[in-house]
Amino acid sequence: MASSCSQALGHHVFKRSRILQIHLQKSWPNRSFALNSAADQQLAVSSPEEIVIPKKKTWSKEAVLQALASTVKRDPTASDYRFQDDPYLTPKTSSEFKLFSLSQESGRNAAKYFINTYPKYFQKDYAQPHIPCLMPDSLEAQIEEESEAALVERVRMRKVRAAVDLFDQLQQAGTPVSLDVTNQLLDLICLYGDHDPTQENVPEQRIEETEDVQDEPQAKKGRGAKASDLLKASWKENNNAERIFALLSEPNAHSYSAVIRGMVKYGAHSKAFSFYTDLLNSRLKADVHTFNALITAAPEVKEKYNEKWELIVDLLKQMAEQKVKPNLLTLNAVLKALRRCGTVGRSQAFPVISEMKSLSIDPSLASYTHLLAIFYKPGAPVQGQTDVLQEVMNEVSGKSFSPQDPDDALFFITAMRICLDTKDMEQAYRVHELLGVGENWRLLGKDFQQNIYYARFFSLLCMMENIDVMLKWYRDLVPSVYYPSSNVMRDLLQALDTDNRLDLIPLIWKDIKQLGHANRQNLVEELLTLMAREKHNQEVQESFAECALDIKKIYDTGDRGKVLLNWTAGSLNDLISVLLAAHRTRDAWEMLKLFKTHNRVPSEELLNKFLVCVKEAGEVNQAVELVQISAGFCLPGTPKLIQRVLQEFELTEQQRNMLSDLEIQSFNSD
Amino acid sequence: MAASITHPALSSLYKINSNINGIYSLISFNRRISISSVRSSSAVATETEASGRGVRGQRRSKRQAGEPRSERMAVDQDWTAVYPTAASFKPAAVPLPVRMGYPVKRGVPPAKKGNLELIKIPNFLHLTPVAIKKHCEALKQFCTEWPSALDSDEKCMKRFPIQVQSKEFVSAGLSLRNPDARIVTLKVKLSSLNLDDHARKKMIKLSEERYCKDTDTLTITTDSCPLRKQNYDYAMYLLTVLYHESWKTEAWEQEKTRADMEEYEWEDSPSQKKVLDTLLRMRALGAKDEVEEGTREELLGQPVVQEYRDTMLRLKNEGETEENLHKYKEAVKKLFNI
Repeated sequence: MASSCSQALGHHVFKRSRILQIHLQKSWPNRSFALNSAADQQLAVSSPEEIVIPKKKTWSKEAVLQALASTVKRDPTASDYRFQDDPYLTPKTSSEFKLFSLSQESGRNAAKYFINTYPKYFQKDYAQPHIPCLMPDSLEAQIEEESEAALVERVRMRKVRAAVDLFDQLQQAGTPVSLDVTNQLLDLICLYGDHDPTQENVPEQRIEETEDVQDEPQAKKGRGAKASDLLKASWKENNNAERIFALLSEPNAHSYSAVIRGMVKYGAHSKAFSFYTDLLNSRLKADVHTFNALITAAPEVKEKYNEKWELIVDLLKQMAEQKVKPNLLTLNAVLKALRRCGTVGRSQAFPVISEMKSLSIDPSLASYTHLLAIFYKPGAPVQGQTDVLQEVMNEVSGKSFSPQDPDDALFFITAMRICLDTKDMEQAYRVHELLGVGENWRLLGKDFQQNIYYARFFSLLCMMENIDVMLKWYRDLVPSVYYPSSNVMRDLLQALDTDNRLDLIPLIWKDIKQLGHANRQNLVEELLTLMAREKHNQEVQESFAECALDIKKIYDTGDRGKVLLNWTAGSLNDLISVLLAAHRTRDAWEMLKLFKTHNRVPSEELLNKFLVCVKEAGEVNQAVELVQISAGFCLPGTPKLIQRVLQEFELTEQQRNMLSDLEIQSFNSD
Repeated sequence: MAASITHPALSSLYKINSNINGIYSLISFNRRISISSVRSSSAVATETEASGRGVRGQRRSKRQAGEPRSERMAVDQDWTAVYPTAASFKPAAVPLPVRMGYPVKRGVPPAKKGNLELIKIPNFLHLTPVAIKKHCEALKQFCTEWPSALDSDEKCMKRFPIQVQSKEFVSAGLSLRNPDARIVTLKVKLSSLNLDDHARKKMIKLSEERYCKDTDTLTITTDSCPLRKQNYDYAMYLLTVLYHESWKTEAWEQEKTRADMEEYEWEDSPSQKKVLDTLLRMRALGAKDEVEEGTREELLGQPVVQEYRDTMLRLKNEGETEENLHKYKEAVKKLFNI
């Protein structure tokens, strides 16, 4: 109802008035009437003032929307656009973020699955104009008979196994399949490594597979190894691609290219090179994609750094001989290969980039990622090469990049890692600034990578920046784009400690609770220690006490009967001293009983503090009880405590007797 | 238009109803099953299931709302980023103590949290003056420069007398199309057309209610064609035809008699004759001779007679108002020197 309501209200009316020019000719006898909207030239002659009617502007369909979108900046308090903007439904921890976004995605997939499985119920086209992606895709092949057209259809629908089966049937029936179609089939097989693409229509595939199991026992093996197949499907000897390739009477460059790229993708590197030799022997020319694949494979087939590099140079020379123009992916493949060439990589990286620039290929972010990875090995000591990062940043700053290479998405986390390793705050800011330019945020990668990026950035901030700047970033990033882990929160606490801003702890505790880290024992204990360590002014102590009571609640209430946190002597000590500092003697007194129930021993220092508090309040009974508790724990400091009580309080006779009894007892036990 | 909007709304309601019915029937069905299974001896499995469900239910209810994000908002935040587009009211995102609804027992209206009344009404939180300014700034690149010669409305009206109006609709619905977008309205002032008296009158006759006498505008609205372009062309065609038709004088138009006139005419009217007659008689007292054309012109040219003529015309064309009658009286008095 609400939606239809807003729909009706959403009808914004735009009035467009067009003023047309009417030019009335004055020639009276003819009484002719001319209506001319573009007669400005005539008018210009007749009138003293010239009216210049501007040309109509044209723009792309999305241009207006893009212009309007450019006015909207990021809202630091909002969570990701995918989630409902509601305190109940926005994710508060990173695990919730993952759960919510994945469940939303799986819901979408389920809907898509139903639409595609029962297309007959989803035929009504509501959208005007037609939106193709909202309509069901046809999953079942329409052409049933064995023909080349059916094969083309199966290739188009990316049904690897069905296409191969049909190809075999066609071969057995003696129907010739054209080279072009066979090449398409080879492309498909090599792209998916002779397996059906897995991400779509999982249930349906399972059915197919069980059928296969019934048909041939061989498939059982494949099914068992399915999970690992997804991760690293490898090129099998004499698989369908090679078999079909062998059936070709005259394979052309395309066929070779398909098979070589498939082999490189699925790890059969040396085989790819032997196929390349075959290709040269049959006097064909490889295309640029083949060379890219081979360059990627080059470091795998040679052992020594020099040999690897020589092979790459050799391939590049052959490209030049065969007059194949290299593209951006060639550059990136060379740089990626150089990452594995050790010292050769460092000496050759810059010549390669300048060579490519002379060929007017602009490096993408992936090129810079590889370059950075060549010079900064993770884990290796930094060798005074900060200038490379600086140079790269000088090169890319302020530019807006578009995705061109799958590795583009690695740039930001690589750059941020280097900033963290070299503790270079200035470059980190520049990297983060680059992220905000144009469409660069698209290149930050998946949620997981995004989290790593922000974690690195934030750790660096905790380490290097002063507390005010850091808190500014903290408010900006948490929790709208980044959910800090408990370790990062500890870093934050330490940063608060170093900058003497412990008064902010209650606020941070609130966030810790929000982020679901309240059940982390060591984090909570550290927080308590920091609160208990120093004396602050009254106001701060009050807020600390509130915070401490809040923490106590976490200890008390277990989740579904399970205790989340265990009291330790240290945490109890800290908590009680925080309460005492805020003069909350009653709460503290109740807490003191917890020592007994949880079999923990209070420290003497705490009892002394307690005594001071009790004295201020003038509660004689409590003082005596305190001594009793101390004696109950057999603390070595009990006699001193008794002395103090005897001296500092006005006791009744009975109490005196009791204390002296206790003194004797403790003396005896010693 | 209204019908076309209410129709989908009704249909969705109908769907919801049917869904609810479906759910009810499912629930009752479940209940029946559970009862029967409890009665039967093999109820263990269902019981464990139920207990499991209960635990899960408890866990669900334990999920607590975080603090509303309006708490974290800075005082100088960029509001346009919080509400960039039209959206229903979000209590957590609006840092205002808004209240709305029926106050129960002389209390105050309910607060914003979980308040359905606030969600029902449309809000304009996305259309703050700042947002509109920003949008205008962003859309400037799509506008062309206004011709500098056309600096006043009068000049516009003079140079471009024809105004064409059409509407564009933007809606967040299934369809981008709106049937009302095809309607074209053309407006033109008759004074800006090249018409003589006859043509003008004929045009007014022909255009009937499309002519507004007060503003002297002719309004042509076309909606019979399915496309705006066609309707625009049709409107232009109608204007052209009207213009040419009004300039034509058909043979039967000569048969127009005094009774067919659109307004009272002084020339050759009985009133004029009578005035002339009376004036001649008045003169006859002095010199009762020649009655010539010259004297007739002279008599009628007298300012007193002119005034009488004007009041007469006003009385006939505008109707007998008090003022007109009074003026008539004055004019008659002057005429006869009373």
